[in-house]
Amino acid sequence: MAESNSKHILSIMVDNEPGVLARVVGLFSGRGYNIESLSVSEVDSDKFLSRVTIVTSGTKIIVDQIKAQLNKLIPVHNLIDITELKTFIGKELILIKLNVKKDSVSKIHEFTRKNGAEILFDDKSEIIIQFSGTPYEISSMIKKLRSYNIIELTRSGLVSMALGKKYIKK
Amino acid sequence: MKKISGARIVIEALIQENVKVIFGYPGGAVLPIYDELFKQNKIRHILVRHEQAAVHAAEGYARSTGKIGVVLVTSGPGATNTVTGLTDAMMDSVPVVCISGQVPTHMIGNDAFQEADIVGITRPCTKHNYLVKEISKLASCIHSAFYIAKSGRPGPVLVDIPKDIQTFNTEYFGKSKTKSFTFYKPKIKPEADVISQFVDYLSKATRPIFYIGGGVINSGLKASNNLNELLKLTGFPCTQTLMGLGATPTSDNQFIGMLGMHGTYEANLAMNKSDLMICVGARFDDRITGKVSGFSPKSIKIHMDIDASSFNKSVKADLLVQGDLSKILDMTIKCIKEKKIIFKKSKIIQWWKQIEKWRSKNCLNYRNSTSIIKPQYALQRLDKLTKHLNPFITTEVGQHQMWAAQFLSFNKPKHWMTSGGLGTMGYGLPAAMGVQIAHPKDLVIDVAGEASILMNIQEMSTIKQYRLPVKIFILNNHYMGMVRQWQELLHGNRLSESYMDSLPDFVKLAESFGATGLRVQKPSEVDDLVKEMMRIKGPVICDVVVDPKENCFPMIPSGSTHDQMLLGPEDKLEGEISEEGMVLV
Repeated sequence: MAESNSKHILSIMVDNEPGVLARVVGLFSGRGYNIESLSVSEVDSDKFLSRVTIVTSGTKIIVDQIKAQLNKLIPVHNLIDITELKTFIGKELILIKLNVKKDSVSKIHEFTRKNGAEILFDDKSEIIIQFSGTPYEISSMIKKLRSYNIIELTRSGLVSMALGKKYIKK
Repeated sequence: MKKISGARIVIEALIQENVKVIFGYPGGAVLPIYDELFKQNKIRHILVRHEQAAVHAAEGYARSTGKIGVVLVTSGPGATNTVTGLTDAMMDSVPVVCISGQVPTHMIGNDAFQEADIVGITRPCTKHNYLVKEISKLASCIHSAFYIAKSGRPGPVLVDIPKDIQTFNTEYFGKSKTKSFTFYKPKIKPEADVISQFVDYLSKATRPIFYIGGGVINSGLKASNNLNELLKLTGFPCTQTLMGLGATPTSDNQFIGMLGMHGTYEANLAMNKSDLMICVGARFDDRITGKVSGFSPKSIKIHMDIDASSFNKSVKADLLVQGDLSKILDMTIKCIKEKKIIFKKSKIIQWWKQIEKWRSKNCLNYRNSTSIIKPQYALQRLDKLTKHLNPFITTEVGQHQMWAAQFLSFNKPKHWMTSGGLGTMGYGLPAAMGVQIAHPKDLVIDVAGEASILMNIQEMSTIKQYRLPVKIFILNNHYMGMVRQWQELLHGNRLSESYMDSLPDFVKLAESFGATGLRVQKPSEVDDLVKEMMRIKGPVICDVVVDPKENCFPMIPSGSTHDQMLLGPEDKLEGEISEEGMVLV
């Protein structure tokens, strides 16, 4: 069975209760599945619901099994495989901190303007840039900034949404 | 409304869940609950001698009754001792609710005395678990736990209750008025068109086989009856897994034996050569399939299960039927009648002829002896002499377990309790206690090995305290038999650490716990032993000294397929076992 691995974006609606993330993550580690990216936050404070987005990869059999196992978790309300819906948006947010010399500050300001990034903090020695885009755009942004002195960066992990009426139900 | 303590709510909620018996062991963090237990007389508490045994006893109780087994333990070591039992219940889909005490909420995370993160520890080995941090959620957690444990594919649920929560007061409005916060709702009813498709497959089959698992027993008596009706309607052969034994009567001629690693020749070959495999509540476990790539290569596979995660996990099925088995089978029978399908014998007569040919090989045959007791012989005699009483059988894990599965008869569901998925040595004795508590008048036999029985032997004390007339039938071969068998077959007969040295005198051991000990060494004495065992009203340990060299056959060596069975000691492994096979357990 030489089935190829493919990437899947799973969007999961869960009860926002203690330990729910541990259940989801523990399922992946316990059964040997991959997590390439993970993001989670509460989306409905009345119903105490959180939305988890996991990017994973595997053969069809593995991914089907991942979905079945996730659906079996008691706090999981609903799950959709966004990748299977073909048309979707996937975005990530990145913060990059640069250590800058005075003479390059204006250059960086110009760069961010041209590339749709935003400067959140600037004290002439340290600049924090915010940028959002697809994972590919994020990676190329990092590449472009590599010539500056990147001190640290952090990525939010992918959040994703299907187009049209195929939205995740609560 | 009057406010009552958390501990009292626990007891009230258990009463409302119709709990009659709980298995437990007290300790600091559950003292308030034990105090409430003391003040009432609706729930009986069975004091075990180790918390692992409490879970196994609850499993035995649950599996023999269809009710939920309930466990009560303290925090820390009390809770961690339940882990093996909970994992066992998880693997075998047994409904168990385990209530554990916890250090008070303000001390959680402080490495307090007898603190363990039991919710964290048991997350992967329970169906669900709760840490109750607010008294207002206590009742709901307990009722949800019972609902989750029993619905869909059953399993263990743990509720961890900090000691301060047990002492806080609040109102309890009863089960029906307690708001549940789980929306969990398993799918019960299959789609009609899937059933119709299934019936079409049934009508076309020429080499069909029913492959029956423990799901039928979990679904209940109705599922067993429906399945039996479907078997009679179709005339198809059936095989059962270790977990499924007794789902339909094993004395029936359509039953061709257990399948899998130590299954019968005819069952495994029928699986291998079939054109239609109907998996009813089983999960294509590795003990069943052998090498997956060579598993029943030519069959259309139908998989019925309530748990969607069982589908296509190891074996790809052609038709998936999700739902409760009693419902699925009921709809199937109705559909057959609606479509007016008649199953002609002629269509499967060649298939049956072939099966009879395999059957005539008499694969469970063994070379009996007049000087030394063969374990198979001892079990055959046990079966013959006790069958009329429909005994409940529990087992430990190993060779004796496989022989029990092969040589005993199981004509009713819920009469066979064995650790199938996890393979827990030490399961049988505490499980037998749980069964005996549920069925005080019935004959309960723990078929054991001398190695396994020692893993929970402390429960003899529980047996003594509650005067449980459990019969323990030890096939004593002085080895961890199955370990020795694998070492013999796969590791050049280097018997590394599998010899059971320094065994106790089981007769004296029995006597020290107020039970009767009986020992036999000659085949001619076996019948008298069994009769004597049945005559004695109290607990009995039978030390049946059997051939230490006997191996369990047939056997499909790991990494092999169903048509590569070893039928007896004369059959040699063809060449070396593959590297792929060596790493398998």
